[in-house]
Amino acid sequence: MIKVEQLHKYFGDLHVLKGVDLDVAPQEVVVMIGASGSGKSTLLRCLNFLEMKDDGRILIDGEEVDPATTPLNKVREHVGMVFQHFNLFPHMTVLENVIEAPVHVKKTPKAEAIKQGQALLEKVGLGDKGDVYPEKLSGGQKQRVAIARALAMEPSVMLFDEPTSALDPELVGEVLEVMKGLAADGMTMVVVTHEMGFAREVADRVVFLDSGQIAEQGDPETFFEKPQHPKARQFLSRVL
Amino acid sequence: MTSFFENLISTFPAFMEAAWMTLRLTGVSLVLALVIGLVFALMKVTGVRWLSYIYSGYVGIIRGTPLIVQIMWLYFGITHIVVLSAFWAGTIALAIHSGAYIAEIFRGCIQSVDKGQMEAAESLGMKPALAMRRVILPQALKRAIPPLGNQFIIGLKDSSLVAFIGITEIFSLSMDNAAVTFKQLEFYTIAGLYYLAMVAIVTFILSRVENRMDTAK
Repeated sequence: MIKVEQLHKYFGDLHVLKGVDLDVAPQEVVVMIGASGSGKSTLLRCLNFLEMKDDGRILIDGEEVDPATTPLNKVREHVGMVFQHFNLFPHMTVLENVIEAPVHVKKTPKAEAIKQGQALLEKVGLGDKGDVYPEKLSGGQKQRVAIARALAMEPSVMLFDEPTSALDPELVGEVLEVMKGLAADGMTMVVVTHEMGFAREVADRVVFLDSGQIAEQGDPETFFEKPQHPKARQFLSRVL
Repeated sequence: MTSFFENLISTFPAFMEAAWMTLRLTGVSLVLALVIGLVFALMKVTGVRWLSYIYSGYVGIIRGTPLIVQIMWLYFGITHIVVLSAFWAGTIALAIHSGAYIAEIFRGCIQSVDKGQMEAAESLGMKPALAMRRVILPQALKRAIPPLGNQFIIGLKDSSLVAFIGITEIFSLSMDNAAVTFKQLEFYTIAGLYYLAMVAIVTFILSRVENRMDTAK
């Protein structure tokens, strides 16, 4: 589904990603964890070309994406993204947020887009909030709308960039529930998170990044019970 | 004091005509200035280097020279290239002048929209131009209204400078009357009152627009 080979990324002199290889299979849920500055968010953003790689290859659905020649908007139609700070469009209602891209990018007839959008809102438990503006919602509700908005493009993979990090603790659960539901439906997901409980329960594979490299990866049980890499052990002892 | 009111009343029809000229100059030049400002602001935010140089050149020259020089230059200076009527020389000069300030207002408001908005739009498959039109501009334009209102009021008062290319508007009419009657205090006070009234009307309309934008999103 997604294949990354020898990915390098620099911010000025800072070498953020140092040759990362990653393979995400269809329907797989990959959770990326690591300390702040380990490069996990940058790696995720590279997968959607919000950050441009400096070296290496990125293949989406088996095809190499070269930002110089591939129209990125076409690639992004198949790669949904959920942001830490939601980034809902504040001048549109919840339903308008959800149908914006289907109507204006995919050219779905508006009536049909509304029907699908309403169904998605019901799926994330916000069927009654379609006419409300985002500012009236709680953080957890905003993030669920953001998930519905990304799903409206019917992506083949969903990327989550610390989706619960900006939420009050009591609102984290409702967002994680929606994500669990997606995973159960067989959505391919790459998730950057600090929610170790979620990683343990939902991930098919945990990827631990340390200073721009994948230091360790494996199934969650093995990783959380018997981490091999000293940095992974250190990290887990701090967060668990 | 009686002479003041007599003068005010006797010149009222002429000043109404002059006020209409001031409003036309201001209205047409500001509409043009909005278009100019938006086009230049968009040129600046594309990130294309040569477009950004054109922007800096335009804003730099216009903000760096006095409006009266620009008006004179367009009306008297370039007659061997193009001869403009006084009205159009004045209107275009005012438009190009306000356009530079409005371009800066638009640029600032566009850049003040959180960059996560563009990222979210692009992550949904929107091209930059579509994202700009559907997501960024509606938010930026709403923020632009208060500073634009300020600029409109400045534009209205700046239109008085076209008096120097022979257009009969409020200020030139006051000058003429003052010169003929030697009643300088009366006629410049009258000029001030007409501008005050017009600015009050514009301010009222702007506050209504702002209120509506607040409630309607």
